[in-house]
Amino acid sequence: MNAPAGSLLAAEALRKTYGPTVALDGAEFSIHAGEVVALMGPSGSGKSTLLHCLAGIVTPDAGSIVYAGREMATMNDAERSALRRSEFGFVFQFGQLVPELTCVENVALPLRLNGTSRKEAERTALDWMQRLEVDDLGRKRPGEVSGGQGQRVAVARALVTSPRVLFADEPTGALDSLNGERVMELLTEAARSTNAAVVLVTHEARVAAYSDREIVVRDGKSRDMERAV
Amino acid sequence: MNARQWSRDLAMGVRFAFAGGREGWFRATLTAIGVGLGVALLLLTTAIPNALAVRHQRDVARADYTYVFGHPMKAGEKTFVVADIDTPYRGADIRGRMIQREGAQAPVPPGLTKYPAPGEMAVSPALKRLLGSSDGTLLRARLPYRITATIAESGLTGSQELAYYAGSDNLAAHIDPPNVARIDHFGSPRSPDSESDPVLTLLVLVVFVILLMPVGVFVAAAVRFGGERRDRRLAALRLVGSDGWMVRRIAAGEAMAGALLGLVLGVGFFLIGRQLAGTAEVFGTSVFPSYLNPSPVLAALVAVLVPAAAVLVTLFTLRGVVIEPLGVVRTAKPARRRLWWRLLLPVAGLAALYPMIGQGRGGGNFNQYLVTGGVLLLLVGVTALLPWVVETVVGRLGEGAVAWQLAVRRLQLSSGTAARMVNGIAVAVAGAIALQMVFAGVEADYTKRTTNDLTRAQMSVQVPDGVQVPDVAKAMTATKGVLKVVSIADGQAGDKDKDPSQTASVSVGSCASLREIATLPSCHDGDAFALKGSDSETDSETAKLLTAAEKHGRTLYLNPAYVGDIHHGALSRWTVPTGLKQAESRKDPTGYERGGFLLTPGALPRGASTAVQGVVYLSIDSGVRDATEYVINTAVRIDPLMQPETLTSVERDGQFESIRTGLFVGAAAVLALIGASLLVSQLEQLRERKKLLSALVAFGTRRRTLSLSVLWQTAIPIGLGLLLAGVVGLTLGTVLLKMVGSTVRVDWPGVLAMTGFGAAVVLAVTLLSLPPLLRLMRPEGLRTE
Repeated sequence: MNAPAGSLLAAEALRKTYGPTVALDGAEFSIHAGEVVALMGPSGSGKSTLLHCLAGIVTPDAGSIVYAGREMATMNDAERSALRRSEFGFVFQFGQLVPELTCVENVALPLRLNGTSRKEAERTALDWMQRLEVDDLGRKRPGEVSGGQGQRVAVARALVTSPRVLFADEPTGALDSLNGERVMELLTEAARSTNAAVVLVTHEARVAAYSDREIVVRDGKSRDMERAV
Repeated sequence: MNARQWSRDLAMGVRFAFAGGREGWFRATLTAIGVGLGVALLLLTTAIPNALAVRHQRDVARADYTYVFGHPMKAGEKTFVVADIDTPYRGADIRGRMIQREGAQAPVPPGLTKYPAPGEMAVSPALKRLLGSSDGTLLRARLPYRITATIAESGLTGSQELAYYAGSDNLAAHIDPPNVARIDHFGSPRSPDSESDPVLTLLVLVVFVILLMPVGVFVAAAVRFGGERRDRRLAALRLVGSDGWMVRRIAAGEAMAGALLGLVLGVGFFLIGRQLAGTAEVFGTSVFPSYLNPSPVLAALVAVLVPAAAVLVTLFTLRGVVIEPLGVVRTAKPARRRLWWRLLLPVAGLAALYPMIGQGRGGGNFNQYLVTGGVLLLLVGVTALLPWVVETVVGRLGEGAVAWQLAVRRLQLSSGTAARMVNGIAVAVAGAIALQMVFAGVEADYTKRTTNDLTRAQMSVQVPDGVQVPDVAKAMTATKGVLKVVSIADGQAGDKDKDPSQTASVSVGSCASLREIATLPSCHDGDAFALKGSDSETDSETAKLLTAAEKHGRTLYLNPAYVGDIHHGALSRWTVPTGLKQAESRKDPTGYERGGFLLTPGALPRGASTAVQGVVYLSIDSGVRDATEYVINTAVRIDPLMQPETLTSVERDGQFESIRTGLFVGAAAVLALIGASLLVSQLEQLRERKKLLSALVAFGTRRRTLSLSVLWQTAIPIGLGLLLAGVVGLTLGTVLLKMVGSTVRVDWPGVLAMTGFGAAVVLAVTLLSLPPLLRLMRPEGLRTE
């Protein structure tokens, strides 16, 4: 595959089916370092599947994905897991925080998985929580904080390893507009400060407004809107 | 609040139990299967007393008491002759009888329609199958009779019992009670002994309580399957206007539906199990399906108590849950568990058992209610204490690797769930440890160490009348797997031909054989010896007889009547040789020390062989498979009434062994049930966390880390549960031993074995839950559309 020049992550002719359902049908994608790209489209259009494929969570049936010059199809499961652990960050709509861990332990978790000591990991985690304005929630459990706070904790956790790509699947889907906007502001600011690329799945135009570029996914096909902010 | 509202809420709960599409059915089915398994086991337990009673009745009905009191019975219209020819085959016991009808009105054995003719036999269905299979080839050689009939159910105690009746026409000539006797009826003339050993009664009672207790715990756990999902649904109901009590009633209705379905399934499982029980044999015991009829009262109790318990358990568990309309249903931080009332239970149990301490077995009238109540309270104490122990310990556990941290945090947040999961195992292990201790403690009272020296011989054969000992010895020497044959014939010598005033034993054998019972100075055929050193009384009797013999020209008399043979042989005279050699007595392989005289065959007067009865000791090559079977076959070929005996170092009381067997069978069933319950709970919890597990894997968490975390989550509460089970088990065991008046001694191997069984069940469950765990950990689990 010829990835667009300078792109950090690019995909071409992706195809993915779940039984009789075609989720992706020749979708394409590319993103540069520091860029924020929104994947838009109605429910069931295939945008989440595209995100999962790009992140190495799901293997496409056909097509090619290249990350930092390396074809992802050539990586085994352990290599893809290592990539997700060290190079990628994730924010989902809900259900991603471990309910029994405190917020700071949740944020520190990816670092600890990478072998960082607990103290060091929690210190870094608290720095990130401060940047996302949730440092006062450190000792609370996810069940004890509000949805917006929890989502900011999740963003902190996604960024704590300083990933090169942040994948955000409907990060504000469960929040009210005020909280949603605050989360997006903090998310994009933090990502830009570390030059991380952000792949943002959303169906809300006001969330997509935080992106540099929009790709619309419909019936498994993608269309790059080439919209510059 | 009126009944209508109640029934409406309960009905809504019932509807919810099966609503929710596949997910709802899955949850309801899980609960129903769990409750059903418990119900089936409860029904089986209620059927056991009946099964045992029927078995006992059948056994009594076919009894052929061959002990003859007073004068021997004469042949008549109702008489028949029966010989007990039970035989073991590859570890299984075969009930064998040879029968000869004498009078036209002689009763037919239960299960038969007529007497088998000579050379024919009637067999049980299981024996028929065995004889027809390749496994039964050696047995077929032992039972060469033609199979002409099958013993019906009324003549058997179990579907898998191996039994036969062989016909004969010359048994009357061999009457020698109790092995061969003439009788005129089957069945016991007296009602069976109703006096039971109080220690054994206590054991039966405790075995029942200990086995049923985990079933109760299991049923309670089963009605809570899918609890978290249910709580979310209840929160949604609160949102649309249900009050706190309404949702509790709805939850109770849901639990009741699962329990009722479980009841139906349980009856189904029981009926299937009842049929299957007819094809199985456990520890040598089998039953016919018709035996397993639950007592109607107990069955009705199960039918009422199980749904009631389901409702009560649900209401009890909802105590600690705040169901709010906005979905946060569980109190963020549950109230700290209190120790005092949890401790009260085992203390109350000990208090109930205390009055019976020291009563011992001397007429020990154990109060059944206090025993049952005390044991129950102690075991319920385990289920009450365990959540507190788990909460207290995990609350103090420190940081560690990620897997450890995830597990510890999870346990800290919901230690109750973890404790519930292992409650059943803990109760079962605590009970098993206690019983193991009691069994080990009182075992000495019910087992007897024999005097057999198994290094010298492993089998013995009593040679019947009319069979020559040398013939048996020769045949045995030629038998595959026999290493050494020692044959001795014993009789009595008297100073007169009739009514002797002085007698002494006479043992006849080759020099090699005699060396097995005495230390000989030198020995040649034709030698005779006077034995010394058995015990002083026997020695003096021998000396007196020798003195008496001097008066009659050194003549002694060997009379077959002295050894009980009333049919054969004639009186023989034996002249005691001058210069009789002395020999030192030594124990034979069965520990018996002979006195009297030793004679080599050449010293035995002609015709005196009928005055002695032979016994052959055999040393067996343990490397030869079926060596004992070859020996038995050789013996039966010589005389069908000859019954070789396998020598053992220990003899056990049959009833004691039955109870012990019952414990093992029951414990195996209960542990299997609890294992199934654990697996279901584990899978349910994993399903609840599917999304989270997928998210964790999505951001790169190693599967090993998550698997290890799941293992820790099981291992920590199990470790604590087994520890608590050990403490309670040892306490209960000590109390029970004190009650029966036995010395308290901890049977550590038994404790470790029982704990190991519990741990093995958990390990098996963890291993079985790994494949679904790995499947759930796929990042594809994030997909919801």
